[in-house]
Amino acid sequence: MTQTGSPQDDTTFPDFLDDYFAECDEHLTGVRRLLLSLEGSVGRPEINRAVLDELFRHFHSLKGISGMVELRQAEDLAHRLEDFLRVLRQGGAILTAEGIDALFDGTQMLEQVISVRRSGGTFPKVRDVASRIAQLVDTGGGTSAARESAGNVEETAPPSTTPLWICTFSPSADLVARGIRVDTVRGRLTGAGEIVNAVPRVSADGSIAFDFQLSAHLDEATIAAWREDGIDVTRAPEETRPSIPGPADRDEGETTSTGAVSSSQFVRVDLARLDELMRNVGDLVIGRARLADTLSRVESRMPSGEWRAIQENAIVMDRQLRTLREGIMRVRLVPVGEIFRRMPFVVRDLARETGKRVRLELRGQTTEIDKFLIERMMDPILHLVRNAVSHGIETVEERIAAGKRPEGTIVLSAATAGDIVSLDISDDGRGIDAEAVIERARKVGLPIPAGSTDSATLLSLLCAPGFSTRDESDRASGRGVGMSVVQSAVEELSGALRLETEKGTGTRFVLELPVTLAITDALIAKAGPETFAVPQGAVREVIEVAVETLLQVEENEIMTYRGAALPIVRLSRLFGLPETTRSRLHLFVVGTGSSAMGIAVDRIVGQREVVVRAIADPLVRVAGISGATDLGDGHVVLILDPAVLARQMRERPDRTIGGARGALA
Amino acid sequence: MTSAESTAGIGSYILFSVAATTYALPSGEVRHMEMLEEITRVPNAPSFVDGVVFSRGQVVPVVNLRARFGFERAPFDLKTRLVVVQAGTRLIGLVADSAREFVSIPPEAIQPPNDALAGMSGRYVDGIATVRDRLILILNLDRILNFDEAQTVGLAV
Amino acid sequence: MPRILIVDDSPTIRKMVRASLRPLDSFDFVEAANGLAAIEQLALGPVALMILDLNMPDMHGVDVLRFLRSHPSSRGVPVVVLTTRGDDSSREAAMTAGATQYLTKPFVPQALLSAAQDLLRSVSP
Repeated sequence: MTQTGSPQDDTTFPDFLDDYFAECDEHLTGVRRLLLSLEGSVGRPEINRAVLDELFRHFHSLKGISGMVELRQAEDLAHRLEDFLRVLRQGGAILTAEGIDALFDGTQMLEQVISVRRSGGTFPKVRDVASRIAQLVDTGGGTSAARESAGNVEETAPPSTTPLWICTFSPSADLVARGIRVDTVRGRLTGAGEIVNAVPRVSADGSIAFDFQLSAHLDEATIAAWREDGIDVTRAPEETRPSIPGPADRDEGETTSTGAVSSSQFVRVDLARLDELMRNVGDLVIGRARLADTLSRVESRMPSGEWRAIQENAIVMDRQLRTLREGIMRVRLVPVGEIFRRMPFVVRDLARETGKRVRLELRGQTTEIDKFLIERMMDPILHLVRNAVSHGIETVEERIAAGKRPEGTIVLSAATAGDIVSLDISDDGRGIDAEAVIERARKVGLPIPAGSTDSATLLSLLCAPGFSTRDESDRASGRGVGMSVVQSAVEELSGALRLETEKGTGTRFVLELPVTLAITDALIAKAGPETFAVPQGAVREVIEVAVETLLQVEENEIMTYRGAALPIVRLSRLFGLPETTRSRLHLFVVGTGSSAMGIAVDRIVGQREVVVRAIADPLVRVAGISGATDLGDGHVVLILDPAVLARQMRERPDRTIGGARGALA
Repeated sequence: MTSAESTAGIGSYILFSVAATTYALPSGEVRHMEMLEEITRVPNAPSFVDGVVFSRGQVVPVVNLRARFGFERAPFDLKTRLVVVQAGTRLIGLVADSAREFVSIPPEAIQPPNDALAGMSGRYVDGIATVRDRLILILNLDRILNFDEAQTVGLAV
Repeated sequence: MPRILIVDDSPTIRKMVRASLRPLDSFDFVEAANGLAAIEQLALGPVALMILDLNMPDMHGVDVLRFLRSHPSSRGVPVVVLTTRGDDSSREAAMTAGATQYLTKPFVPQALLSAAQDLLRSVSP
């Protein structure tokens, strides 16, 4: 091998771990879903072929990428699972309970290995699970011989009245420039119906084309729109009506023509990219403001007809910018079902482990919340659900003795009311024993408030750091995520946590979160030593002036602006901050017409989207400050309310805001 | 509930010191303590309010106890602590020169404040406790946190 | 610039292949996540080298290869197929269908780079 200075000199690819983990997550999500659906086939003569194929693919891919990042245990486990799936796919087998258990255990172990690689910890011993699966493969266990005719079921197309179409797409540079590629075409077709077949071919003129057989109801408008985008649609001749094959039936060595394809209609989006997009939009807004300024200056020099035309364009752009901004904000909203998806697996697993019978009900999965919140809430909700199974739901015997149904129920639901999302985790288990909690708190040395021990008190005790200690051997609620972490996660998102519980009946945790974080575009400015944020919406314009051009009229500074006098107030003076002498000032023009004012700052540092946090306490409620934000370093930056500032100045131009209160020493 | 009588039986208190005097608050009123990072000044807030900080995701006003009690302000050092307290739904941070852990004080050890303590800090003290020959002033949180204009003017240092 | 086409359904592996081949800086890199997208890339312009995974969901790499070899303008494209350890039959099928060279996953970046350089050298510019 020639030494050519390749990017990696060792044989590993450490930089790709993030991609590896992300891809593993996707595969494992699919595996969980498929295993749950496979569970329904235990003991039945027919197993859905498509499910087996997909599972096989997932394990195969997991094996491949795990090998590339040299995570041997994961590669090994995935390999065994793949082998087992191969056996199942061969058909003529019935899946037994032993078999499905091995699949679940193997998958869980695989998840653990990946998780350890990701966040540290000790690797679990995979050998037992791995050899268990291997044994099943070798001895043909995990399955039992099927009766007579049963085999793996291929979903054959029922005699259908849905029309069949042939959609032909020829890629070209023009179409690519318009964002139309074969993948986009596939997505569009899948959205309209079901792709039965997809075949590439070489046309007579030597160019390449793709023929899709599509089963769908199409109207004239759709066909016409697709034609515009390079998709040629014709009715299929009636004789061709094949059964719907599963995704490419692929055992090693076999090759068949392309089967139905199921490309995703979704893209993974990096949150950082979304933020960048928002910043870009913010830049556009500022640019648009400057354009408005230029336009107003040339108005007098242009024929009015032309000027009006340009002005109209500018107004349209305004609207488009607003729509763009709102659209990007909406992309951040994600259905809560994303978190919920993992839960059935978790519950099933834990229930099995603890020997309990638990049923999980999910409601309101389509409720949308900001992606940022979803990511923060994943672990806390997992913890609460685990708690419900391990501490909430009683054993079967206990439940029967208590006159309850042997199977416990956990309900996980989400709902929006106004701009609050409520996430509810409730169980019909044994409820929280207030006395035991107080006893425990006392033992651990936590202060017990006097008076009643209502739910709020119980909750604060449960969430006190130190309430649950490390020596709790209950692994199920473990991984060190105590209730205190749940509470701080909720608080950090400006949310609230509530508890309702009744001994013997059950427990309910409610998490209330804002639907979207209050986010606003703000200009960041410095006045003296302090940094402030000014909401862009309140600013009509940003201009720069030379100090000499300001006129002093009594106590006030004035400048000429658009042919009128614009009173100026210096922010540093308003807030009693030390002033720095500068030759140029930056002004935020707020208000319109006769109530317009300029607020002068020393420097504009930039503009960005900020999360607004409320300032509620009377001690720091000051006129002209509408909230606070964090620019990323944990330091509080105050958000101004320019309209209030301007009003105050108009009413009392000779005093600083706040009247009698002196400036801070 | 008054500070010194919040629990029947021995009360648990957090101790902290301001200008060489030891003060206490019932531990039920204290959420947590942390080291102080940069404080953002809030212009035109009362003079004893140094500004605001973020604590566990929330904006928390910072009350400088030295200023509140009429002492001279001192620069912050490694021992300075922000004692985050809860009064009703309000979350406020108090700056203390240093803050230590829990101490139990039986109610018998607490005396009402005597007139000799009249003066600035006297106004905020609910009781005086003697624990192992040490004098501890037990504070009334409500009076520390609430204010009116007249008081503020009087506090100008 | 001439193009190198990377075809694999795993985004992680596509990224790794790209990184392995980074020293080949006189080439543009294009990626495809499935067989149809790979064929589309061939339709859009000449490809100097193709790295092709075999096990893909919609269209097996061998079928992509067969299609490629049947199309006059792509018949001569050098193709390195990525095979799975132990999967001899797929490998043989791929070589029969016209793969130029194969590399077994997991692969060492050096090995892929060397194979690519050899193939690119042997094709006259």
